[in-house]
Amino acid sequence: MSKPRLAIFDFACCEGCQLQIVNLEEEILDLISLVDPVEWREAISDQSDTYDIAIVEGSITRPEDEERVKKIRERSKVLIALGACAAIGGVNKLKNNFDMDDVKKCVYGKDADLPHLNTAMTKAVDEVVPVDFYVHGCPIDRDEFKHVVKSVALGKKPNIPVYPVCVECKLRENVCRYEFNELCLGPITRAGCGARCPSNGSWCFGCRGLAPDPNVDAAKEVMDKYKKTVDDLRDRILLFNSKQEHADV
Amino acid sequence: MAIKLFKKAALKKWVDSLIAGGRVFGVQAKGERFAFGPLEKAADLRLDYDVTILPPKKYLQPQTEDLVKFSKGGGYESVIDSEPFVLLGVHPYDMAAINQMDAIFLKDGEVDTHYKARREAATIVACDVESPSENVFAGCMGTAVVDKGYDVLVTAVDGGYVVETASPRGEKLLAAAGEVPDASKKDMKKRKAVQEKNRKRLRKHELKGEPLGLPCLLGKSENHPVWEEKARLCYSCGSCNLVCPTCYCFDVQDDTDWTLESGRRYRVWDACLLADFAAVAGGHNFRKERAARFRHRYYRKGKYIPEKIGEIACVGCGRCITACTAKIANPVEVYNRLTEGC
Repeated sequence: MSKPRLAIFDFACCEGCQLQIVNLEEEILDLISLVDPVEWREAISDQSDTYDIAIVEGSITRPEDEERVKKIRERSKVLIALGACAAIGGVNKLKNNFDMDDVKKCVYGKDADLPHLNTAMTKAVDEVVPVDFYVHGCPIDRDEFKHVVKSVALGKKPNIPVYPVCVECKLRENVCRYEFNELCLGPITRAGCGARCPSNGSWCFGCRGLAPDPNVDAAKEVMDKYKKTVDDLRDRILLFNSKQEHADV
Repeated sequence: MAIKLFKKAALKKWVDSLIAGGRVFGVQAKGERFAFGPLEKAADLRLDYDVTILPPKKYLQPQTEDLVKFSKGGGYESVIDSEPFVLLGVHPYDMAAINQMDAIFLKDGEVDTHYKARREAATIVACDVESPSENVFAGCMGTAVVDKGYDVLVTAVDGGYVVETASPRGEKLLAAAGEVPDASKKDMKKRKAVQEKNRKRLRKHELKGEPLGLPCLLGKSENHPVWEEKARLCYSCGSCNLVCPTCYCFDVQDDTDWTLESGRRYRVWDACLLADFAAVAGGHNFRKERAARFRHRYYRKGKYIPEKIGEIACVGCGRCITACTAKIANPVEVYNRLTEGC
């Protein structure tokens, strides 16, 4: 059996998630023993017209990006959204809280109307084309990336948590951030990162997106028990989860 | 079996000798809380702790545990961890929970090989509670004091520690201490007083009625409004399960290496409050609603497991009460509501 042809593309993002793939270091050799990278701007100079697996990093923020990602979808059998920007829109969706003209003026000043600086509302990849699998997070977790790639190669559905980060905090025996009087998004955020931030002394930023069916109503009520307000909760949710389903608190 | 009186320095010396002799896990400070962890020196051991974040079950059924290594073509090999270790500072309620896990995992004809190997590799030093935690209610559950399961029992009394061995393995462990005087009748009286006091004071929440009345009470409470009322605020985060010393459910998963030709099958702690706990192939979920999952936990603790092993599967450690961010997981509060009727 020939190896699946893999291509990696970036859209609006910092490319840090691709960097996590590069950061596999010696395991890159294992990765390319399993798949055949045919296009990957950050790591190789080749280009290709067809691929079995397309990995798309970044959000869709311009009309021309929509066309480009549609073409990628047409050429690929499996499409994986890589990282928060691609999977949920992430930080890039902060923009959607404002008027697009104001956004352009704020960022580009007098150059705002130049045609190549045109911008639109941020979309996650699946708001433009169907996505088969997701690697969540900002940045992605390398182990989860490996799990997704191996699962796709095996023709198996990857096992991506639907439960909140609290699970992983408990498994790691962390002291709950709420006991430090911090507002943590762990209870409503999808796990899979191994509770990395709470395990390193910070509250959860929610970078993996809200867990499916998050109890946001509970989060609102619980704020009071910890002398926080719904406004505090909203502020914290906005960073990675602006304009997400269930995130309108 | 021997009953000795250790002075503080002698106990420390004994613990250091145990550490020199092999793997020792003991209770240590973790910020302002406590946790079992690898013990490097006796000075780090905190027998005066209130409660650990996770129960010591993590050494008998680890959070993630390899079960089998497999390779293409059908080859496989069980992974069994039987390296001896000493568990230092297990509170009576946690010992009671381990005794329950023994009843489940070591039942004739249903022995869990992996659990058995770890359990047999464990030498357990239990200790009576010195500092009650904020939510403990072991006194109501009959687990403030324990009389079986451990190899050694340590009780802090005025003037030192009464140390009793309860098994040949415990005897062997104590032998490492060298010459230590026997506990006097007076010391034994002091120990009894500590235990009597603990039965009374480990009651930060007061259960109405006898624990053994719970199966009957739950039998008629399926439609009680408390399930919906509490579950409304449930995050489905499983924290109450994961910190519970009697929760033992697990999920089994596979991981392959890059060649996709060999790999490992492992188990990880699961939790019945999680949305996909009862999800099965075809997209069906037997407990889709939060309230159904919320209720299930109380039935499991108060009815289903008791029907299997004859004991209530809540030992009153109070960890779930503390761990629940929404503060809806207090078993005493829920069971008392049921006692009061609708």
